[in-house]
Amino acid sequence: MANKWEVFVMDLAELAEGKELELTIRTLNDGLHKYTYQRAKVEVSSKLDQFADSLQVRLGRGQLSDRKFSIRVIERVERLPERYR
Amino acid sequence: MGKISAPRNNREFVEACVKSGDAVRIKQEVDWDNEAGAIVRRCCELGEAAPFMESIKDYPGFSYFGAPLSTYRRMAIALGMDPASTLPQIGAEYLKRTNSEPIAPVIVDRRDAPCKENILLGDDVDLCKLPVPLVHDGDGGRYVGTWHGVITKHPVRGDVNWGMYRQMMWDGRTMSGAVFPFSDLGKTLTDYYLPRGEGCPFATAIGLSPLAAMAACAPSPIPEPELCGMLSGEAVRLVKCETNDLEVPADAEIIIEGMILPDYKVEEGPFGEYTGYRTSPRDFRVTFRVDAITYRNNATMTISNMGVPQDEGQLLRSFSLGLELEKLLKSQGIPVTGVYMHPRSTHHMMIVGVKPTYAGIAMQIAQLAFGSKLGPWFHMVMVVDDQTDIFNWDEVYHAFCTRCNPERGIHVFKNTTGTALYPHATPHDRKYSIGSQVLFDCLWPVDWDKTNDVPTLVSFKNVYPKNIQEKVLNSWADYGFRGAKK
Ligand SMILES: Cc1cc2nc3c(=O)[nH]c(=O)nc-3n(C[C@H](O)[C@H](O)[C@H](O)COP(=O)(O)O)c2cc1C
Repeated sequence: MANKWEVFVMDLAELAEGKELELTIRTLNDGLHKYTYQRAKVEVSSKLDQFADSLQVRLGRGQLSDRKFSIRVIERVERLPERYR
Repeated sequence: MGKISAPRNNREFVEACVKSGDAVRIKQEVDWDNEAGAIVRRCCELGEAAPFMESIKDYPGFSYFGAPLSTYRRMAIALGMDPASTLPQIGAEYLKRTNSEPIAPVIVDRRDAPCKENILLGDDVDLCKLPVPLVHDGDGGRYVGTWHGVITKHPVRGDVNWGMYRQMMWDGRTMSGAVFPFSDLGKTLTDYYLPRGEGCPFATAIGLSPLAAMAACAPSPIPEPELCGMLSGEAVRLVKCETNDLEVPADAEIIIEGMILPDYKVEEGPFGEYTGYRTSPRDFRVTFRVDAITYRNNATMTISNMGVPQDEGQLLRSFSLGLELEKLLKSQGIPVTGVYMHPRSTHHMMIVGVKPTYAGIAMQIAQLAFGSKLGPWFHMVMVVDDQTDIFNWDEVYHAFCTRCNPERGIHVFKNTTGTALYPHATPHDRKYSIGSQVLFDCLWPVDWDKTNDVPTLVSFKNVYPKNIQEKVLNSWADYGFRGAKK
């Protein structure tokens, strides 16, 4: 099943297409873990059928943007230092 | 001091509020995703009874208690007073209790600590097992801590701090929070832990007794466990944590234990704030790594939903900031007749009543207020004379609009301490917590001739002889008027 994601940006230009980005995204999938975050390498596209997962965007003060994207999560990035895991 | 019989824990408080009609039990299932937040918000905006939500979607066995102290009635109940007590009566009681002898906490055995009824350790630790609500749509996350206490200890001085600093769930083991650098915890971090690169043990206690919560957000110099004892008239029961040396209220509903990381930060916010806006930017903030969760059977999560007036962020903080300033000014011998913050000012304006017995008294008050530990939380001080009723906004507003001279009465203080939450601050000032503050001096200058220069207040109360006032008041209905006898 396709996943639903959300990202907060100050400026939509942060979501450059056609290259790998590292973003903090949160899951919008229903269930106990909804709204939890992870850091991930991703690729985004304004073509909604480009990737299976969808991405919605919120701006600096939580406003929902009307721009929608599709997203591919390439891999999770763990920034938490090893000693704390 | 007479025996105080205040609710000793959140459960007794909920019961007392339900009994007096100041809380309602909601039996139907409520969604943690926005719905619970919307209910609490509407209760705040209408001054409604507090919602006790008994059934939460996805979280059988848990409940929510929202808007615990967003009315003066509930504040009176929390203090064990008659719910109909007036604000000056509640204030006088707070001053009496917080000027009494400190009452040290007692340590109880873990078998006597309800907060240990369920214990999650190791791989079982997951904040998503708690019904953490999405309080406002568009918030940066689900907020674990909105009405709670973050418990820490200064490693050298040994003093214990309970502070209400909001905490967002980033993932199942991580929270981030807005701990301002001028707060007690902020100072402990910058003074000790961050320079050494050491983790700071913490415990978050949720579902506290209402007076423990009041202590956690009171700007008092008294350590909060003692302050809570003074407010409730008996020792607070504490129990040792599972994974660190801190002690937590044994009757709390939920305890989250862990470490504040010195060298790792995740994003926090944005979040609906006490000013009535989402102002402070999303940023990398103080990060809490969770090691253990303990909770009572059928635990209740307490929720404060901050936004436009009035919620406990405004009501309770206005109350305690005003009274703590009153104590400070009186300790300096200033003849203040009272201090009041209207909750609708979102605790941004201090109204101080004073006998104007010497020159510069308003400036002295403002300097003390802005220069104190309380100062970053408000940016306006309005000083009126002892003839003006500080609790009556009509009178205060009239005094401000007529007596505050634009050249001599308004004094701006620049480059003071602010917070990222001030809606009127520039984005730059928010980022660096740079503040600016203003004094509105509404006193007649002492160098004006009292007989010839100071205008006479033309009011019913002030210009007519007492016998005429009495005659008119007593005849009011006979004249044919049907309105209130003022
Ligand atoms: C509902 C609520 C939320 C609060 N959130 C925060 C916060 O996120 N950060 C903060 O520094 N103070 C916050 N405060 C104010 C502190 O609780 C208050 O300043 C308290 O006295 C602790 O500060 P101290 O450590 O300076 O004594 C909040 C108060 C309330 C009532």
